Amino acid sequence: MSSSKPLVLVLVLILVLGIVIAPSSANADGFALERLYPSAPGGGWIVMDDLGMHGGFGGAISLTGGYARQPLAPTVDDEAFMSIDLAASYDRFRVYLDLPSPLAVKGAGPSLDIGNAPDLIADPRVGFDARLLGGAHDPFRLGVGAQIIFPNGTRADYVSDETMRAMFRLLFAGDAGKFTWAAHAGVHLRTQWEGPEFIFGAAGGVRLPIGEAKRWAFVVGPEIYGETALRHAATGIEGLLSMRFEGVAEDAPHLRFKLGFGPGFDPSFGTPSFRLVFSVELFAHAH
Amino acid sequence: MKLRLGVLIAVVVAPALSRAEVSESSERPAEQMDFMNFFAKRGLHDLTDERWNVYGQSTFISSWKAPFFAKYTNLNGSNSSLLPDFEYSFTWTFTLFAGVKLWPGAEVYFVPEVVSEQPLSGLKGLGGAIQNFELQKSGSTVPTVYRSRLYLQQRFDLGGKTIDKTSDPMQLAGKVKSRRLVLRAGNFSVIDFFDKNTYAGDLRQTFFNMQFLTYAAYDFVADARGYSWGAMAELQWDDLAIRVGRLAPPLVPNSLALTFDYFKYYGDQAEIEWDWKIGKEHPGAVRLLAYRNVENMGRFDDAIAAYQQNPAKNAAACGTFYNYGSTNAGAPDLCWVRHANQKVGVGLNLEQTIAKDVGVFFRGMISDGHTEVYSFGPTDRSFSIGATAKGNLWKRPNDIAGIGFGMGFISDDHAAYLRRGGVDGFIGDGTIDVAPESVIEAFYSFNVYGPLWISADYQHITNPAFNADRGPVDIFGARAHVEF
Repeated sequence: MSSSKPLVLVLVLILVLGIVIAPSSANADGFALERLYPSAPGGGWIVMDDLGMHGGFGGAISLTGGYARQPLAPTVDDEAFMSIDLAASYDRFRVYLDLPSPLAVKGAGPSLDIGNAPDLIADPRVGFDARLLGGAHDPFRLGVGAQIIFPNGTRADYVSDETMRAMFRLLFAGDAGKFTWAAHAGVHLRTQWEGPEFIFGAAGGVRLPIGEAKRWAFVVGPEIYGETALRHAATGIEGLLSMRFEGVAEDAPHLRFKLGFGPGFDPSFGTPSFRLVFSVELFAHAH
Repeated sequence: MKLRLGVLIAVVVAPALSRAEVSESSERPAEQMDFMNFFAKRGLHDLTDERWNVYGQSTFISSWKAPFFAKYTNLNGSNSSLLPDFEYSFTWTFTLFAGVKLWPGAEVYFVPEVVSEQPLSGLKGLGGAIQNFELQKSGSTVPTVYRSRLYLQQRFDLGGKTIDKTSDPMQLAGKVKSRRLVLRAGNFSVIDFFDKNTYAGDLRQTFFNMQFLTYAAYDFVADARGYSWGAMAELQWDDLAIRVGRLAPPLVPNSLALTFDYFKYYGDQAEIEWDWKIGKEHPGAVRLLAYRNVENMGRFDDAIAAYQQNPAKNAAACGTFYNYGSTNAGAPDLCWVRHANQKVGVGLNLEQTIAKDVGVFFRGMISDGHTEVYSFGPTDRSFSIGATAKGNLWKRPNDIAGIGFGMGFISDDHAAYLRRGGVDGFIGDGTIDVAPESVIEAFYSFNVYGPLWISADYQHITNPAFNADRGPVDIFGARAHVEF
C-alpha cells in the first residue's frame, strides 16, 4: 500500500462520514412512532433475520411498503411508509442500509404526506450482522447485530426522535427439515420519550418447495415481535402472518416477495390495531 | 441596457463520471477507484453488461465573499439584499447512486443524498449567479438525508446501430440501439435529462456557479432541493433526440412541498437535440428547448396594479398569504395576486470539442419575464459561454481547468416591480438601478489521488441581483470532491 493511500482513505472517511448529531427540539412533542424495523435485504423474514449469509460477495436490494392502522390513536390514526434497503454480504457478515420514507402520517397530531414531504427519509439505519455459531443452514445459528439510527425528520411528525439511536441484538435462527425459525432479543437505546427499550421477537414456519425442479420456495408462519419501555415497563406486541415466495435454485430468478399482515396484541406506543406489509427483493447469490 | 460582451473563451473539461449519457464503448479506467472497478477486478461484476451498480460521491465546497460596495442594503424593510460584509458559506453533500435492472429494458434508479449547508446572506441577493450550485433553498447546517431520485426507466429498442452504454451513476452498462424510445416516471430532476451539456452541467468537478449548471432563465419545475415527480419520454433516432416531459411544481413558490394536480399545475418541457462529429474526435451538439409552466404564481404587473389601486395591498401586510417576509409598507407584493399563471421560455444549448480534451459551450434562453420565480431563479433572460480543458496538455491528465462567463437580465416588468421595493424570492434591495448581472469564473481542479480532487475557484460578480447600485462582488472558493 503506497504511503498516500492511507491519507486518501482518511480524507474519504472525513468526507463520507461528516454527520453530526442533530439537536433535539426544545419544545416538540412526538417521537419515532414506527415500530416495524424490516430485516436487512436477504434476511428472510419480514422482521426477523435468518442469518443465512454465506459464500463470497453477495447483496440485495429491497422495496418494502406498509400501512399501520391506529398506531397511536387518536394522535396518529394512519401511518404508511415505503423503505428502500440495500445490503452487501460476505461469508457470515452483512452490512445494510435502510432508508424509510413516510408516505403518510395522519391523525389529530401530525399531517404529513408525500405532498408536503416529497423526499423525506426519516431516521435512516445502518446495520451490521454477523453469524457467530452454526452454518448457513444449520438447525441452530447464533449471531449478533448492531444498528445505528441517524436522526432525520421531526418529532412533531412522529417520524423521528431527533436524536441518535442504536440497537444491539442477539440473533437466533435455524432450519430443520421443512421447519424454519428465527428470533431476536436486544436493546434499543434511545434518549427521547420513554428511554431505552428491550426488544424481542420470534418467527417460525414451514418452507415448502414449489415448482418444477423445486426452483422456488414458499415460507409461511407467524412473526411475533415487540418492545418494552424499560422506564415504565410498557410493552407493545404485534404479530404478522408472514409469507414469502423466493427463488432458491441457482437458475431461478433472484427474487423474493414478502407479505405480512396481522394485529397488535398489546397496543402501546406504535403498536397498531392492524398492519399490512409487503416487500419485493432482488438479490445476488454469493459468488 | 447595454450588453457588455466581454466574451472569454476558456477551456474546461467536462467531468466524465457523473454524466449518465450514452456514449461509444469505452472501458472504464482500470485505475478508477470505485466499487464497480473493485468488484470487476475480482471477477464479481461485468462492467459491460450490468444488472446493478452502485456509485457514490461526496463534495465539500467553501466560499469566501469579500466585502463589497453597496449604495444601500435592504432599503425600507426589503429583506433580500446580498449583505456587503465578509461572509463564509459552505455545502457538504454525500450521494449514493444505485441502479438495478428489472427486466429487459427496464431499470430503476434510487439516489439518496445527505446535504448540509450555510448560504451567503440566507441565499438572498443574487439572481442567476449564485456562487455554489449545491445550495438548496431548504437547507440547514444540520445534515439532512433525503431521497433525490427514485424512478423507473423503460427502454424500447427500435433498431439502428448497437451502442455500448458505459457504467456510470444513473446508468447501467449494456447494449442499446441507436434508435430507441425511453420512458421515465418517478422522482427525478428536470435537468437530469434536459439541457445536458458535456462541458457545463455536472459541476462537482468543474464550475461552481449556478450560472453554468443550466440556463439561468430556465425556471424548471422543482421542489426546494431541485427535484420533482413526473414523467418523460425520449426518442433517440441515431444522431437526433426528442424529449418531452411533465413534472409537478411546488405548492407555493420555492417550497419543498409539491402539488400533484398534474392537469391544473405543471411544468412541461420539450427539447430537440442533434449530435454531430467533426472529423473523428470532435463531437458536438445543439439542443433547442422550450418550456411552459402553469403555476399558482403572481405577475409583476398585477402586483404593481394591485398596490396602486389599494396601497393596503403592500409587502408588509401580506398576513397569511404566502410571502417572503418583507416589511416594506411602500412596496407592492406578489402575495396579493397569485393565481394560475403561465410562464414560457425557449433556449439554445451548444457544445463543441475543439481539440483533444478541450471543449467550448454556449447557452442562451429567453423567458417571458412576466411572473415571479417559482422554482429555480429570478433571471428572465440569460446566456453563458465558456470552455474547459483536461490536463493532458500539461501532463496532469486528471486535472481540469476552465473559465466561463455568464450574464442574466430581467424584464422591464420585473425591474419595475423591484424598483418599487418589491421582493421576488431571492432578490429585492428596496429599489434598483437595473443592469445585467454577470459572472466571470475561473477554476482549477487538481486530482490529488485516484478518486479525490481539490479545486480552487474565483468568481467576479457584477451588479448582484441585477442592481448597478451594488457590487462588484469577489468570491473565492475551494472544493474537495471524492468519487467511489
